[in-house]
Amino acid sequence: MNSNESFFIIDCEGLTKTFETPNGEFEVVADFSLKARSNEFVVLFGPGQCGKTTLLNMMSGLETASTGSVVVNGKAVSGPGPERGVVFQSIALFPWLTVMGNVEYGLKMRGVGKQERRGRAQRYIELVGLQGFEDAFPVKLSGGMKQRVGIARAYCNEPAVLFMDEPFGALDAQTRYLMQEELQRIMSVEKRTTVFVTNNIEEALYLADRIVVLANCPTRIKAEYVIDLPRPRDYVDSRFLALRQEISGMLDRAL
Amino acid sequence: MNTRNSASAVTIFRILAGLFSIGCFIALWHFGTNGTALGKLLPGPSVVLGKFVASFTTKIGKYTILGHAMWSLSRVMVAYTAAAVIGIGLGLAMGWYRTAEAIFRPFYEMIRPIPPIAWIPIAIIWFGLGESAKYFLIFLSAFASITLNSFDGARSVDRVLVGAAKMLGANDRQLFTSIVLPASTPYIFAGLQVALSTSWATVLAAEMVRSSEGVGWVIVSGMEMNNTTQILVGIIAIGLIGFMLATIMREVEAKLLAWNRQGT
Amino acid sequence: MKKDRRYLLLSLLAVSTVLAAWWLATDILKLVPSTTFPSPVKVLRTLVIKFWDPNPDGATLPQHVIASLQVSLTGYLMGVFIGVPLGICMAWFTRFDWFARPLFDMLRPIPGIAWIPLMIILFGIGVMSKAMVIFLSSFTACVVNSYSGIKQTKAVHLWVARTFGAGNLEMLFKIAIPTSLPLVLTGMRVALGSSWSALVAAELLASTQGLGFMIMQCRGLYRPDVIIAGMITIGSVGAFLTWLLSLLERRVVKGGRFS
Repeated sequence: MNSNESFFIIDCEGLTKTFETPNGEFEVVADFSLKARSNEFVVLFGPGQCGKTTLLNMMSGLETASTGSVVVNGKAVSGPGPERGVVFQSIALFPWLTVMGNVEYGLKMRGVGKQERRGRAQRYIELVGLQGFEDAFPVKLSGGMKQRVGIARAYCNEPAVLFMDEPFGALDAQTRYLMQEELQRIMSVEKRTTVFVTNNIEEALYLADRIVVLANCPTRIKAEYVIDLPRPRDYVDSRFLALRQEISGMLDRAL
Repeated sequence: MNTRNSASAVTIFRILAGLFSIGCFIALWHFGTNGTALGKLLPGPSVVLGKFVASFTTKIGKYTILGHAMWSLSRVMVAYTAAAVIGIGLGLAMGWYRTAEAIFRPFYEMIRPIPPIAWIPIAIIWFGLGESAKYFLIFLSAFASITLNSFDGARSVDRVLVGAAKMLGANDRQLFTSIVLPASTPYIFAGLQVALSTSWATVLAAEMVRSSEGVGWVIVSGMEMNNTTQILVGIIAIGLIGFMLATIMREVEAKLLAWNRQGT
Repeated sequence: MKKDRRYLLLSLLAVSTVLAAWWLATDILKLVPSTTFPSPVKVLRTLVIKFWDPNPDGATLPQHVIASLQVSLTGYLMGVFIGVPLGICMAWFTRFDWFARPLFDMLRPIPGIAWIPLMIILFGIGVMSKAMVIFLSSFTACVVNSYSGIKQTKAVHLWVARTFGAGNLEMLFKIAIPTSLPLVLTGMRVALGSSWSALVAAELLASTQGLGFMIMQCRGLYRPDVIIAGMITIGSVGAFLTWLLSLLERRVVKGGRFS
């Protein structure tokens, strides 16, 4: 890997997305550009329903951009793939597979032998704190546990970049706080370049190295903040609270 | 504990109520046919049950009742399995690949409204009076619902799961075998269950029209010889087999689809 | 969309290829004897002629259709009017369920057509025996689906009703039954299919008129063109009845699902 300081592991330029509707063209994302360095945790912060998911999908390859380019780890993105791991808001575990089955799925698809992939998957199951649950089916797990499997599953493929689309959005408030701390812990053990989407300011400030504030319809960049606080962060630290007030004030109020 | 006691009390009452109503039914049957005008047409419960037990050892026609049951079931099993293999494959392919749907669906939609039993006369002309006609008919009846449900299953696969699989590196063929197929199993299973009961009904119809053995033959020969007891013995056998088949399917579903149960 | 049109073309191509091959094999190349495999042209001609020609089985197509419809609708509606209320009562009144369910479960695994020989002995060859068989076929599906429909009633809705002081019967009629309507209609749709199928079976074995009788007669007369024409009619009438029912279904369920 290029250790040059100016190498951007994510390089998006001029991304837009327009949909054809009976009433004409509808622009969901307008002129988005982002450059991220290795191991940087970038949070895309914006109000709900503003195209954040579409934007993230364009970067991970799950959707194609109308115009613009996405280059991840030096290669142009044309579709989804193991290099660009995704953690979904709806979690999207394969319900017919056990926890182990889910986590090792990516390795299995790429032809890794049983012994090796079991070992590698086990490592990530332990990383997310689910040792002992390898043979459980998703239907038996709580929301937080399921999302931890989701994170392990994406990690297991050793992606260059992780894309997380409001991964804790479907969880209750308590679990959400716990998961933020979990993710912080996981990142401290094995850091990855991450693009993380959220509409929760506390979550953004807790996890981010950099926050990109998005405006609504169409989605575009409004402001950027580099967050330089020491980790793990304190939700009630004075600088944390000051940033919280400033950034949430930036949000578009209108629906 | 109070709730546990009342729960088992409820179960006891349910069993008693069940026994009571079945008992009433048998009593009504007995008194309704004991020396009455109806009794000339319909034999009483003791006669029928006696004959039923006897049929395990005495032959009706060429075989005991077990032999006839085996004939009917084996016909079903052969054709049903073939229909399952082909139907699941075709249904999933039609649901997942639009080209397959475009080619095969029109034929399926044209054949579907015709009840399998309506194929009996043409099947006899094409295949004669032997086993092939029966296999053909049973195959047709099972094929319809298996294909339809597999089709629905493939179409209902959660697109997010597909995206997740692609993200994890699955190629097209792997997507089909490792995602579309397992995700569709609840639908496929529903189709298999319906197909089993329609196959059972079809084999009976086929045997009633033209056969020399099988449970369908037992009841139709009873009709031809005016032997109502034999008809009722056959009906009991048919009901018992139908019940066993349904129970087996339910148990298999519970094991296979344990992951699908909505937990707490 | 352009892609959709491509697929439609593909479908048309597939169907016409098969039809052409069928015609080629029968009329032109004469690969199979016409007593076994009629050509599509012949089938079409027979279908049209049958509208007024009573040969070779004794009645015209409309006469058969009407005879079949009369019997099947009688049996079907009997099954609906007895089966749906029974299913509702079994699901709502638990004590009743305790007594009724074991009896119903004994009946349930027996396919409707298995009753044909018994009904013929009891009622002879005629309308009554066929109607009874059809009734039994439609009855089972109606009971099972109405039962499921009532059981689906959300406890929450019932609690709301009770806080407004509703009694048991009121809750049944105002909450449970409306909730169950989609499944009741599903049951009626399944029952329609079973009834139509049972009708054909009953007419194959024990009838002097009707579509099932017609195709069975023509087997003995080696007229496969009439048989296939008959099968097409059976399928079309069945599809038409199902379509009518789906209109009713749409009107009833249009209020949207009860969440």
